[in-house]
Amino acid sequence: MKKKLLSLLLAGAMTVGLAACGNGGDTPAETPSDNPDATASDANVAVFYYAYSDAFISSVRSALDTALTGAGIEPQNFDGNSSQTTQNEYITTALANGANILLVNLVDTASIDTANAIIEQADAVGAQVVFFNRAVEGTDQEGVVLNAHENVAFVGTDAPEAGHLQGEMIGNYLVENFDAVDLNGDGQISYAMFMGQVGNVEAIYRTQYSVEDANAILAENGHENALVYFDASNPDMYQADQAGNWSAQAALEYMQTNLSQYSEANGNMIELVICNNDNMAEGAISALQAAGYNTGEEGSTTIPVFGVDATDSAKALIADGYMTGTVEQSATGMANALLGMVQNISAGMTMDEAVAAVAQTDTELYSVSDAVANKLYVAYSAYTG
Amino acid sequence: MRNPVTAVKQTAARYKTMDARDKKSFWVDAVLNNAIYIILIIFVIYTWTQNSNILSGPSIVNLINLVASNLPMALGIGGCIVLTGTDLSAGRVVGLTAGISAALLQTATAANKFFDSLGEPGLAMVFMALVLALLLGGLVGLVNGFFVAKFQLHPFIVTLATQLIVYGACLMFYMSNGNNGQPISGLSDAYRNFVTGTILPRFGNNGALTIPNYVLYAIIVFAIMWFTWNKTTFGKNMFAVGSNPEAANVSGVNVFFTTMMVHALAGVTYGYAGFIEAARISSNVANTGQNYESDAIAACVIGGVSFVGGTGTVSGVLLGVVLLRIIFVCLTYLSVDQNLQYIIKGAIILLACSIDMRKYLTRK
Repeated sequence: MKKKLLSLLLAGAMTVGLAACGNGGDTPAETPSDNPDATASDANVAVFYYAYSDAFISSVRSALDTALTGAGIEPQNFDGNSSQTTQNEYITTALANGANILLVNLVDTASIDTANAIIEQADAVGAQVVFFNRAVEGTDQEGVVLNAHENVAFVGTDAPEAGHLQGEMIGNYLVENFDAVDLNGDGQISYAMFMGQVGNVEAIYRTQYSVEDANAILAENGHENALVYFDASNPDMYQADQAGNWSAQAALEYMQTNLSQYSEANGNMIELVICNNDNMAEGAISALQAAGYNTGEEGSTTIPVFGVDATDSAKALIADGYMTGTVEQSATGMANALLGMVQNISAGMTMDEAVAAVAQTDTELYSVSDAVANKLYVAYSAYTG
Repeated sequence: MRNPVTAVKQTAARYKTMDARDKKSFWVDAVLNNAIYIILIIFVIYTWTQNSNILSGPSIVNLINLVASNLPMALGIGGCIVLTGTDLSAGRVVGLTAGISAALLQTATAANKFFDSLGEPGLAMVFMALVLALLLGGLVGLVNGFFVAKFQLHPFIVTLATQLIVYGACLMFYMSNGNNGQPISGLSDAYRNFVTGTILPRFGNNGALTIPNYVLYAIIVFAIMWFTWNKTTFGKNMFAVGSNPEAANVSGVNVFFTTMMVHALAGVTYGYAGFIEAARISSNVANTGQNYESDAIAACVIGGVSFVGGTGTVSGVLLGVVLLRIIFVCLTYLSVDQNLQYIIKGAIILLACSIDMRKYLTRK
């Protein structure tokens, strides 16, 4: 009897705890918004993030939460936790629960079927879908998904653009500092490449274009085929995080292992490090520092390291001179564009009109795709401190 | 402990008395019982023929560093496996304690400072963070142990649950204090020197042969674990409970307490690993530590800590960690295609484990 009472009490306490969590997590829904252009009345917004653990997505999440609640809209947030299955289950549940505007940050970007399946589900109940951040269709199949449906739009970046910008930044940096970077003076820059995830569209583009574009710029300036992967026997020309986490740990362990046979003393030092994201760049820098490079001390060599994302800690490393450059994507720009989309759709605009209206608000930051009228690009920008 | 010289003499004497058939099986057994060592050596020799750098000083130092970073966790999980259990929460505990250690030990001027009110941490603060990480890890372990021991739940399901809880806490931690999920870095010099600096002389070009402090700490952890497993009542009880909990209970072993403590000790090693990992990789995100347990569990099983329970040695775990790290280093040195690396690693784990299990199968 005593035990039963105890477990009842425990269960009761847990329920109260859960309820308390629920209230604590969101701002109370009954608080009326004092924003005059709130169009919240019938917008039931559900936001599906691909992974809460991603640093950039976390910035988008807090910016979007602020933007939406500021406009009197209470979003429901869901963590796909890097699994498309989990995300699909959340989407089905949210639709059943009455969500009419879905903001979807796809997990699986490799196939258009994923996006199509979500759109069909939303269509069936008359909900609208705005995909964001992660691409729904490859650049060679532009419009395949977005032009085929009325109720969808895309807000994000042009997937290859980060790679192009990184390549441009690297190329220009090398043209200016070629002799300083070319430690052994052989006229070539041997580089290491750390890839975040095998099979991820963005990772593939970044890996490819950063080198191609940098090489093109170098060739224009009289350095033909100057970028050479440091390990001639590696056919991939990259080292990838085997767990697909874009993690600092993977880059650190690869770099540490690489540095055990490539060094200035051996005359074969890796002269440039390119990473798919800033987290990997930080791991690579940690390994370089352990080996006596990039310490900022008198007489120590600094190997240029490039990333993508412009996380706060990468910006700090760039400010301190340990890292050279990164590519910035504006989280608030993304959040404001999504808020604009939600408001415009609620106001009865079609997707194409909504996209055009948002693009008008900041022509520097936003642009509409040439081929697809419901695809809004948020610009990347190079960041070198 | 037996005197190794007499042991060899005894074996030699026994070998002389054997007939031809026994002699043959003696050698087959010898090869199979030492299969892991043989695989290791073949693997290294093959890599050496392709790339002689593998046996250079810096490469060996690199291997030692990699082993030292994985060993403590594997030793902790090893105890859970001796009890026929496992621990899936390990990686997430590493992630949480790494995040907290890093947040407490950022420099005063770090750009994205987590705790604004903290100044430049000194050595005392580093120790406090270490103790906090150990306690936090130990607490999660204690919770694991309590549910395993009290409700007779399989550790697989208990740690599956705590893994989720810890991950949730970790995500909340990274979103809190205005950090918005950004990586926590900008660690203080006191902290980084404590972990990745060195008190040993720096050798080689540019200090290429330098052994960082965390290798020394790993040796200390190894010694403590060796002592605990082999020389204490608690260690003996752990093996007794692992082989047969009922028998252990009847012989007066406190099964409840032993189970709790084995898990708590494992948790402490994850807390330690988190503290070290934060400074080693220097940029920490909520995903730090994810899946660390899979390598640690594989290392234990390769090293002869059997899921059957009650068997395993500390040096076996070390061997398992070394084998996994050698695979990583060799595949990198050989520049093997990334897709093939998964297959090779999987095949070697499977091969090593099955050959090793043969010892126990024939014994039964």
